[in-house]
Amino acid sequence: MGRNLQTNRNHFSYVWLPYVAALTGIIFSILIWYHLPTKIIDTLTDSYPWIILVLGICVSVLTGFAIQLVQLTHERKRSYEKINENFKKEIGERIHAEETKQKLEKALLQGQKLQAIGTLAGGIAHDFNNILYAIIGYAELAREDIPQDGLAHKNLGKVLEGCKRGQELVARILMFSRRQHHDFKPVNVKETIEGALGLLRPTIPASVSIQLESVDKDIVMLGDQTQLHQIIVNLINNAVDAMDGEGTVNIRLSDVSSSDEIFSQFPNAIQGRYCKLEVSDTGHGMDQTTMARIFEPFFTTKEVGKGTGLGLATVHTILKEHQGEILVESQLGSGSTFTLLLPEYLMENQNGQNTTS
Amino acid sequence: MAKILLVEDDDLVRDMLAQVLTRASHEVESATNGEEATEILKTSEPDVMVTDIIMPKKSGITLISEVKNKHPHMEIIAISGGGRLDPTGYLDLSESLGATVSFEKPVDNATLLMAIDLLVYGNKH
Repeated sequence: MGRNLQTNRNHFSYVWLPYVAALTGIIFSILIWYHLPTKIIDTLTDSYPWIILVLGICVSVLTGFAIQLVQLTHERKRSYEKINENFKKEIGERIHAEETKQKLEKALLQGQKLQAIGTLAGGIAHDFNNILYAIIGYAELAREDIPQDGLAHKNLGKVLEGCKRGQELVARILMFSRRQHHDFKPVNVKETIEGALGLLRPTIPASVSIQLESVDKDIVMLGDQTQLHQIIVNLINNAVDAMDGEGTVNIRLSDVSSSDEIFSQFPNAIQGRYCKLEVSDTGHGMDQTTMARIFEPFFTTKEVGKGTGLGLATVHTILKEHQGEILVESQLGSGSTFTLLLPEYLMENQNGQNTTS
Repeated sequence: MAKILLVEDDDLVRDMLAQVLTRASHEVESATNGEEATEILKTSEPDVMVTDIIMPKKSGITLISEVKNKHPHMEIIAISGGGRLDPTGYLDLSESLGATVSFEKPVDNATLLMAIDLLVYGNKH
């Protein structure tokens, strides 16, 4: 209440005071002019003939002073606004820098964690291969010593089958941890996606529909086609699994300009041309905790025995090898979207116009 | 039948391989690491050496390059479990250092025996 009164008072002195002062002056002048006997004025002008001159000069100087005051006030107002604007801009920049820093730190931490797990997985794979080799060898030796039609022979066969599965798992772990040096060649991204879809369709339930939207032009990137296949297959399998057999997987391939807003979400991306691949599903989505861990190897939300927890980890590793980026957005109950940035390869020498040599 | 030096640090794998090779009527001597293998090689001259790559004390890589210098006619088979830094790289390296064949674990024992036979037979003829 008191504060309101104070504001009202300020408002009055700021807006109305000059008018009140001018009005008071005018009223006084009228009063003097009306009531003052003309004789006095005549006497005054007679004894001081320069009084009108002084009065004129005073009025002129006062007018000049008033104008200067108004100008000064305006200028000050402008400079205040400018300072204010700069201040706001600076705060914005700082907030942005802070956010970028946080994102970078998070990405770095995630990268280090994945690398560490990769090294660990590699070490485990080495020891595990030794163990598997011993089991396989002994089982084979034992099988040689017993009659072929006996139950023991059959059961040892099962042991060998189990070992085979173990062997496949280790091969997958090694693929995740191993830094292979692939021969990167120009790959048509859209054709690769279509190829992967062709492979996948027979394995996907009919109640799941897959839509592919793509820009008309050919998008080419430097990469290993088999690995890119694997990225797409893993992402789609993941999407299909998230939908419990019913829903739609949308795949969108588009061009990204270098000034696109999307780069603010990828602070690590190196400057250059990229294409964007989005894979979204209408599945059950994920919570924040799950989202933070999905690229970790051996992390799975699927039932025991159904997922190896290596699918998305492999996607992450392959993408990093291709200088790509990945981001996931998800909401519980309404599905997830994986956004991938793939560095585009510009076919400069397409028509034999080699400018560098 | 051939005289084989088996170098492997994993007890289970060494024992299993020794059995497999013995059953295929080869004569087997075993060592648990590169140093032991070097000691054995001072007194005996096997036809084939089957060696692991990642081992304590003296690794398979060092052993292979040493053996290739001292016993140029000995056939060397390298086996590795993969992992650590770049396992296939090690196998490539072992081959360029003088190993005749290399296998990734788990090795198919039938193939291993066949490779030994081929190497020994090839040398004799």
